[in-house]
Amino acid sequence: MWVPVAGLPPLLALSALTRGGRFCILRFGAARRKDVLAGNRRGLSDIHPQLLSNVGFGKSSSRVYRCRSEIKRYITSPRLAETLVQILQGKGDASQLILECNPGPGILTQALLESGAKVIALESDKTFIPQLESLGKNLGGKLEVVYCDFFKLDPRSRGIVTPPVMTSETLFQNLGIEALSWSKGSPFKVIGILPTKSERNTLWKIFHDLYSCTSIYKYGRIELNLFITEKECQKLLANPRTPNLYQALSVLCQIACGIKVLNKLPWSSFETYTTNGQLEKQKHRELVEQNMCLIQLTPHRDLFTGNLTPFNYDVFFHMLRQCFMKRNAKLVDHLHSLSPIDALHILKQIKKNKNVKVIDMYPQDFHCLFETIECSEEDTCKWLYDDFMEDVIL
Amino acid sequence: MSALGWGRRAAGLGRALWPAGRPRVLAEEEAFGGVGGHRRSSSASPCEQDRRKDWGHAELLEVLQARVRQLQAEGVSEVTVKRVVVARAPEASSAQSPGKARAGAEGAAPKLSGRWAQKLDKEQRLMQKRKQRLEGRLQKRERTLAWQRQLRVEPRLLSGRLANQLQRWEQGAARSPWEEQLARLLQEAPQRLSGDAAKASAVRGSDVRLEGQRQRLLSFFECCLLTGHLPLAHHVLVTHHSRSRQQRLLTLAMYNMVMRGWAREGSFKELVYVFFMVKDAGLAPDLLSYAAVLQCMGRLDQDASTVRRCLKQMAQDGLQLQGLFTAVPLGEGERAELLRAVRKAEPTFSPPPPPPPTPQLNTSPLLREVYAKGCPVSYPRLHLPLKKLQDLFQQQLRVELATTVTVQSVEKAQPPTEEVLHARKTLADLRATWETALYQELQETKASEARAAREGRPSLFPYLCLLSEREFVGLLLQTLQALPAQGESLLFLAHELGLRVFNRHIVQRKQLSKQVQVLEQHYIKYLHLLASDTQVAERCLPRQWWEALGMPEAPHEQPWPVSVLVQLGKQLAEVLVQAVQMPGSLAAPRGPGSLIPVLYHVYSFRSFRQIGILKPHPAFTQLLEAAAERTLTFESTEVPMLCPPLPWTSPHSGAFLLSPTKMMRSVEGTQQHQLLLERCPPAQLHGALDALTQLGNCAWRVNGRVLDLVLELFTDKGCPRLGVPAPPSEAPRPPQGRQTPKSGLLPDLSPADKAEMRRELARRLKVAREMQSLRADALCRLSLAQHLRHRVFWLPHNMDFRGRTYPCPPHFNHLGSDLARALLEFAQGRPLGPHGLDWLKIHLVNLTGLKKRESLQARRDFADQLMEDILDSADQPMTGRRWWMEADEPWQALACCMEIARATRAPDPAAYISHFPVHQDGSCNGLQHYAALGRDSVGAASVNLLPSDLPQDVYSGVAAQVEVFRRQDAEQGVHVAQVLEGFISRKVVKQTVMTVVYGVTRYGGRLQIEKRLRELHNFPQEFLWEASHYLVRQVFNSLQEMFSGTRSIQRWLTESARLISHTGSAVEWVTPLGIPVIQPYHRDSKVMIKGGIQSLTFSSSGDTSQKPNTLKQKNGFPPNFIHSLDSSHMMLTALHCYRKGLTFVSVHDCFWTHAADVAVMNQVCREQFVRLHSQPILHDLSRFLVKRFCSDSRVSKSVWASRLLDTLLSVPKTGAFDLEQVKRSTYFFS
Repeated sequence: MWVPVAGLPPLLALSALTRGGRFCILRFGAARRKDVLAGNRRGLSDIHPQLLSNVGFGKSSSRVYRCRSEIKRYITSPRLAETLVQILQGKGDASQLILECNPGPGILTQALLESGAKVIALESDKTFIPQLESLGKNLGGKLEVVYCDFFKLDPRSRGIVTPPVMTSETLFQNLGIEALSWSKGSPFKVIGILPTKSERNTLWKIFHDLYSCTSIYKYGRIELNLFITEKECQKLLANPRTPNLYQALSVLCQIACGIKVLNKLPWSSFETYTTNGQLEKQKHRELVEQNMCLIQLTPHRDLFTGNLTPFNYDVFFHMLRQCFMKRNAKLVDHLHSLSPIDALHILKQIKKNKNVKVIDMYPQDFHCLFETIECSEEDTCKWLYDDFMEDVIL
Repeated sequence: MSALGWGRRAAGLGRALWPAGRPRVLAEEEAFGGVGGHRRSSSASPCEQDRRKDWGHAELLEVLQARVRQLQAEGVSEVTVKRVVVARAPEASSAQSPGKARAGAEGAAPKLSGRWAQKLDKEQRLMQKRKQRLEGRLQKRERTLAWQRQLRVEPRLLSGRLANQLQRWEQGAARSPWEEQLARLLQEAPQRLSGDAAKASAVRGSDVRLEGQRQRLLSFFECCLLTGHLPLAHHVLVTHHSRSRQQRLLTLAMYNMVMRGWAREGSFKELVYVFFMVKDAGLAPDLLSYAAVLQCMGRLDQDASTVRRCLKQMAQDGLQLQGLFTAVPLGEGERAELLRAVRKAEPTFSPPPPPPPTPQLNTSPLLREVYAKGCPVSYPRLHLPLKKLQDLFQQQLRVELATTVTVQSVEKAQPPTEEVLHARKTLADLRATWETALYQELQETKASEARAAREGRPSLFPYLCLLSEREFVGLLLQTLQALPAQGESLLFLAHELGLRVFNRHIVQRKQLSKQVQVLEQHYIKYLHLLASDTQVAERCLPRQWWEALGMPEAPHEQPWPVSVLVQLGKQLAEVLVQAVQMPGSLAAPRGPGSLIPVLYHVYSFRSFRQIGILKPHPAFTQLLEAAAERTLTFESTEVPMLCPPLPWTSPHSGAFLLSPTKMMRSVEGTQQHQLLLERCPPAQLHGALDALTQLGNCAWRVNGRVLDLVLELFTDKGCPRLGVPAPPSEAPRPPQGRQTPKSGLLPDLSPADKAEMRRELARRLKVAREMQSLRADALCRLSLAQHLRHRVFWLPHNMDFRGRTYPCPPHFNHLGSDLARALLEFAQGRPLGPHGLDWLKIHLVNLTGLKKRESLQARRDFADQLMEDILDSADQPMTGRRWWMEADEPWQALACCMEIARATRAPDPAAYISHFPVHQDGSCNGLQHYAALGRDSVGAASVNLLPSDLPQDVYSGVAAQVEVFRRQDAEQGVHVAQVLEGFISRKVVKQTVMTVVYGVTRYGGRLQIEKRLRELHNFPQEFLWEASHYLVRQVFNSLQEMFSGTRSIQRWLTESARLISHTGSAVEWVTPLGIPVIQPYHRDSKVMIKGGIQSLTFSSSGDTSQKPNTLKQKNGFPPNFIHSLDSSHMMLTALHCYRKGLTFVSVHDCFWTHAADVAVMNQVCREQFVRLHSQPILHDLSRFLVKRFCSDSRVSKSVWASRLLDTLLSVPKTGAFDLEQVKRSTYFFS
């Protein structure tokens, strides 16, 4: 059913796609867009593409498609894509390798390709794949399209992996990407939009992978450029000065990565596809009113130079999760059920008052606390944590 | 009077002025309780807030505060004086005038003058001395007697009229006697309209939380009565009654309970107070209330007129006098007093005779033969003489009175080196200190709980009084000892502790109430029926014999609600955590000499839930290991019994001698099964009771030779292939412990390498941990086996909610693995007889798993061919050719080899006394029942309901049918069907076919098949999903083809359950034997126990007040129904075998008996199967369900009801299979 689309000149086809809702190109969904956007922020005053007149391939909706409850967002504005390309490539060289997650209609892909980058498109939705492939053909082979869900790489359950779920090993082997050592840097950059529904879970998964040097992070210090909701972004950046947002993820993120907020856009800048064609306004109103932030997460080169290593990161995770469970409690109370070492002694070593509360601890303080306990002289038992209690995240 | 007012205000103010968190001196607290004896409630919090706002008045407040403290000091002195007086005059406790207590305050209360600060200073110095002196003296007395004196007695009534009445009577107490008041009070109409009450009860049902609180409160009152804290119970009742919010929680049962307590003590005045409250709460007194009142009158020997008035009122309330003696459970003494009172009014009254001792007979047509009189019966007897059995009874009694059994571990003994001895000594010293520490901690907890109760909260205080501190300490130390190194979830631990306290308490009560002696007398008479050397007039079933002995039915103890169990257990766990400490030097030899805790409360995160865990300090675990104490401690109920279990006579009496056991096991805290069982007529349960009794009466012994061999392996290196777990020394050792990640910290390793190290470590730890848990499990089992080696023992049985039977002792029973089964044999032997040896041989071949599709004759011949191997295995099991190790069930095969060897070598094999159990298995028993229900000819043939020369194999049948479908599809060009060519085998479909009866869905079936396909090496793995998806469809289609009736019955059951669940009820039915079944699947309701180290949340899903969980009800019905049928079949077989004098036990659809009796058992088994299915089972079910779920007028209006009725009435049609043929089928059970 995609034949007519593929036959059109790319630009036209894509523009037509952007207003798919009007004539329901996709069987499962209708890309319905909101006619919003009065004041846009940060100079992106117009990210609407010009609406073209109806192109006549109408209601080609015979494609069988399995239902998904997930909502997916895609970048569909060429202007936005332009901006993103500029941000991404800033001062770096133009011919870098970029891994784009769920490009959907491929607007950004095209912009990236046009700027000279090599792009690998990991698309988890089969519907878009022929379209992307033809895009690649038209642009001279600098695009590889893989049916794969980036955010579900290396599932922890270790069951069968059938595409779009894959292991990073197969993926990168097929793509011919070699691992770089941690100190060297990153063989590629990633750009994508975090799945709306499982944003937090996905973040947890990313940090697990990061701290344990598995999955994508086995291949180097991968730089992630992700769109996340503003709220979540604030949480990642939180510290004791914003105690209401401060949580374990904030600490993990700030210890591990350099964080840059590159851009902020209203939700409506994206296309949203849902299962049954109609975007239910009321249900998603909150989401619609939210802003999306583009953040850049670059893992620190010296993350593992101290005593915190992929060998014992799980203890660190456990420590944080437990501390933030009762965030207003005193740290000393938590220490009693974290480590049998004399809590007051530890506090003295990290130069904290014995009444210090969890939410008064900066990320660095937690790091320091961990290292202190890990270095303590007590031989037999430093942590009460045990693999028996191995934390299960996803 | 004004001064008095000031005193009270000062008290209130004092409370208000205390900062929230400041610990109050005990003495002060007490003093205020005394002064404000009649203070109803104090609310401190609003004032506290004011204080914070008003910093301007800080100085003034400070002064006032000081003043208040001073007043308290005076209060102390006054109260002491008063208390001394009180202690001398026993009556004074309730009658003391409030004025007296306040008089003291009056004297010391000065006018507030402008120069208060100076005055205060002066006074303060003066008071200081007095206070100090008094406090010292007071604190000692405080704990012992103080609190009882300040409990509230008089209620505060909400109804103004009643309150006035009460006040008048109190003032005029001297003139008009209390009984007079009561008589008048009785005539008072309830204050609220009955409509209100009805509405309240409707609300009640819906609110689970409220229900939970009620249960807890009722249990509290009950426990108070038990432990002799009646005044405390009364106090809490009064406190609750006086607050309208809390009054909602009170039910008539609670008032009645307290009233009954007072009646027993003969305290009429308090009883009247409670009666006032009953009336005030708008409740109508019932038989229990009247019974209490009359009993009290009887005790006080009151005159006839009062009693008469009371009886009259009772009649007016529509309550029968006879009912007092029949419907109210009363103790012997209570009954006498009650009768005495009644006889005063009606001298000729005689209580109705107790109902005749159950002449009811079970009317089920299936059981007619079992209970038929007159036919010759040959019930089996035990092989032991009376004397021996009596001796065994004494042993078992001792075990149960001790509540725990200590067993020598079979772990290899280490030579006691210096190190070991040192560790043992350290441990012994530590235990001694812990005992004292626990003792103190417990007392403190008790004191604080007592305080809580005094504040009107139903605290844990009475529960903590049930056992002595010493017993609690013992229990806690035992728990500490058994705590695994990786810790235990706090919730589990708490529940376990609570249960243990309950069990110990029950045992203790039985001991105190002289029930043990009565039991002993009756049990010895009971043994006459079973012993080998006694004569009885008439042979009868054990239950009938026991009932004829007329053992007085002990009042059945209601188990405590789970929330109480958990709360109590948590409190005890906290005591343990707080009290048990060890020197820090144990953990780190260089460390400081301070004490560190032994137990730590840590959290584990499972997804987004967190679980609290109690974990011992690794140093403590090490110490335990070093000490290598070779004992294991079990609860007495975890060990098989040493004498024949008590026969089951009711749903809650049977099995263990003293420890309470339920006939129907269920998820803890669910009441519905118990209620259902109690409601059904006793005769209806006879089948189940007798079958369970009979299964439990089978005597067992340990197969010593097998045990020796197993132990040899166990203490050596283990042998996982044979199911003997290896010792931890065989586990892959982590390179360095988790706790010393030095290797993980090496700077020159890259992060990726470290990650790999971590994974490797995790893998090893996982393997080690699994091995450890298997090892611990085997250690329990083998140690018990060793403990019981030269004894005869019994496995009491109970059943699950569908009637499937299980042995109660969990570790060592015949339900376990191959190894566990091989360790057991019948204690009673039987000569093999002419065919016994053949059955042994056939059984051996069955155990090897070979020749499944051969005839019995062929199997026996096969065994004859192998005789050399068999004898070799028996003679040199470990050194010979080891043929037995290749069998499917190696250990049982080995045991069988040995038995065959002994039998063949005996001079006359037919006379050889064999103890060996021979099994007969149903072939795909679930499908057999379905096929019989639906009378499916094809299906019946494939599961061996039809006689045939060779055993049929349903799995091969299904595989063949699937292959037919596949070939068709392949010809049609279906790609996946072509791919699957040559891959469809019995093995691929077996698991799915087996589980389809038990409700496996397509989803689960696909996973099973996928797993099988994955195991096939040459199968193209990229087709896994598609192929398994295709295959599961074809398997279902094939089953549909072969068992057409089965599928329609399954669908009918599922649909009925769905509709029943939609009408808001859980599915219920009655098995053909008469056991009522209800599916315990409800929507979860969360119960939360707050406070302490951790809030515990658990979900209870079994309560009838909850809405049913439709999905589970629907999916569970077909398999549960089939299980209720197979259990009926088993019980029928068991009962008939018993009548024929056979030894019979079962593992669900696998029946065991002596080799000599296999033929008889087989015949009975087939006959009973035919009998069972000759009943119109589905129509009976339909009729029952219609009656149960469609006759309710409330429900029938709903949309679902009419659809339900339609569905229920359209019972699936059945096929043409002739059931009688089963009787001639050799391979039905084989």
